[in-house]
Amino acid sequence: MRSGTSQSRSDQVGIYTWANYADETLIEGFTTQTGIRVLPQDKFPDNETMLARVLTGGGAAYSVISPSDYMVKKMMQSKLLQKLDHSRLNGLDTLLERYRSPDYDPDNRHSIPISWGTTGLIYNPEKLPDGPKDWSYLWDNKEKLSKKMTLLSDVREVMGATLRMLGYSYNSTSPKELEQAYNKLKELKPYVATFTTDTWQDQIVSGDLWLAMGYSIDAFSVISSQPNLKYVIPKSGTSLWTDTMVIPTSSPNISGAYAWLNYLLQPSIAAQYKRLNIASPNQAVLDQLSSDYRESPILFPPEALIKASEGIALVGDFSKVYDDFWTRLTSGS
Amino acid sequence: MSTQVPASDSAAVPGAGRNRPASRWVEPLLLLGPAGLWLVLLLVLPTLIILELSLVPGIKPGGIVNPVLTQFPNYAQIFDPIFVSVIGRSLLFAIGVTLICIVFGFPVAYWIAVMSPKQWRNLLLLGFILPLWTSSLLRSYAWITILRPTGVLNTVLKALRLPELDLLNTGILDFLKFLPNSAGWATPIIDSWVNLSLAVFIGMSYSLLPYMVLILYASLEKLDLRLLEAASDLGASPKQTFWKVTVPQTLPGIAAASLLVFITGLGDFVDPELLGGVSSMTAARLIYNQFLGATQNWGFGSALSMVLIMAVSVAIALLIKYGGDSAEV
Repeated sequence: MRSGTSQSRSDQVGIYTWANYADETLIEGFTTQTGIRVLPQDKFPDNETMLARVLTGGGAAYSVISPSDYMVKKMMQSKLLQKLDHSRLNGLDTLLERYRSPDYDPDNRHSIPISWGTTGLIYNPEKLPDGPKDWSYLWDNKEKLSKKMTLLSDVREVMGATLRMLGYSYNSTSPKELEQAYNKLKELKPYVATFTTDTWQDQIVSGDLWLAMGYSIDAFSVISSQPNLKYVIPKSGTSLWTDTMVIPTSSPNISGAYAWLNYLLQPSIAAQYKRLNIASPNQAVLDQLSSDYRESPILFPPEALIKASEGIALVGDFSKVYDDFWTRLTSGS
Repeated sequence: MSTQVPASDSAAVPGAGRNRPASRWVEPLLLLGPAGLWLVLLLVLPTLIILELSLVPGIKPGGIVNPVLTQFPNYAQIFDPIFVSVIGRSLLFAIGVTLICIVFGFPVAYWIAVMSPKQWRNLLLLGFILPLWTSSLLRSYAWITILRPTGVLNTVLKALRLPELDLLNTGILDFLKFLPNSAGWATPIIDSWVNLSLAVFIGMSYSLLPYMVLILYASLEKLDLRLLEAASDLGASPKQTFWKVTVPQTLPGIAAASLLVFITGLGDFVDPELLGGVSSMTAARLIYNQFLGATQNWGFGSALSMVLIMAVSVAIALLIKYGGDSAEV
């Protein structure tokens, strides 16, 4: 695997990120430009797996990690992140307004946002001509949608969407509100085909499913290959997620890490963002890209909807209550 | 009539074990030492750590481990009805899949071992275990492609003018609603967690069948066919020969194969999640959520792990009871 000790070798950098955030072309571009090798990119399927690995010491090989918003806060609390020296980074001044000082990390002291997106409903307008406008569509049309719709396999997303529809927050810590959301979901459950984060993609294209709850980044790639499908963000608001890049305190190559961050902040590699279907939070990158990408309502929804949405935040010990409701929901009792 | 190798000398000659010179321990130690060390470091020690963690109420990663032996809140939590149904689901899946594999696997193994032409045996066996060379995750996804409403199965059924099936959303007890006068008592059963997903049984049995066939084959291959001839000479019908000669002889093999399938089935959370529809939470996935999910409740996760380990230990105890003795006719 890795030869010798990779501690403080200045000519290589290890990255730990999501599956579709960096591929061969992107990495080769980096090596050509800086001469630093990227160790085989390690991927994680979700934030919690990444955190578990970093906590148990497995993160020591990585110079750059890509946690999501709420996870950045958690890692900050556990003192796992290095403070970023903004003078070593170029391009922070062209970040979109709302990313200059996000809730999860004021002033971007420990992280840089690299991509963002929403959660919404992807549907087949031929089967559902009166398309969904809000989460309540699922309940109002549950018989018609019986076993032809899926929800995400994520407790915070599913409970959050239901809470939102009932007028509460995605990050509610009120047992009464959660109980209400749970009962609403129990009502819907017999009509849901399954809870899944990615298997809906093939099935909505083949016609087995008419409606799926999914992330904007997946919707964008599915709709690119099947343009008759549509993506809609519910009116009552949805969850807004941001993925970032951070340098862990155990990073073996700090200058290499800064080189990687600067590489990704460059407007000139904007085309790579388009290829990877990532919505960039950087205005300079957006300016470089064609209008069909910039104006895609999937990747860049209107301000009004963004204002109605919220990010999923940590709820501390309350996550146990969420988890219990989720176990009950997926246990069929 | 036992066909086992006679017991070793040290048992036949009392006291021989006690007086072995020290040098006679070197060979067993050298041969078993590495494996023993491996087992202790990688199996016994981690299990003891899990046991210790399960005794600490509310431990989180990075927390201080202070085992409490007076009360067991982590274990008490398991008795909550939701979690009981989760563990029950895992056990029922594992037991059901084991039974299905025995029923389907034994005839195949018997045919390959006893009835097929000798020169083809290895090839047939190879062909049967070929699916094991592919990723098990891919095989589960393939089942979605076959069983989904517009999938391969329904395409074939449609071509044959037969009614289409939605097997991804069928439970094994759904047929109860077709029974006469069933409306009252059948509905609660169909809605409960006991009505497990048929697709999961199909997917899991398919994945685990090769293991069953392989181990049963190894056992059936050693079957002394002369015993079967002798039985029929003495007037036994084929049915009697099967149950009174073949099965007892191969019971160790059946037990070992069943154990393997049971343990693997108990820990499988991929198939229930991909094929099981909305009510698919298994004990394995629940444990996963405790360690790698947002709650990070390692104490509860450890307690659940210990429960699974105990279930497996019971299965092993049954194996030793029914599979370890030499065959008696």
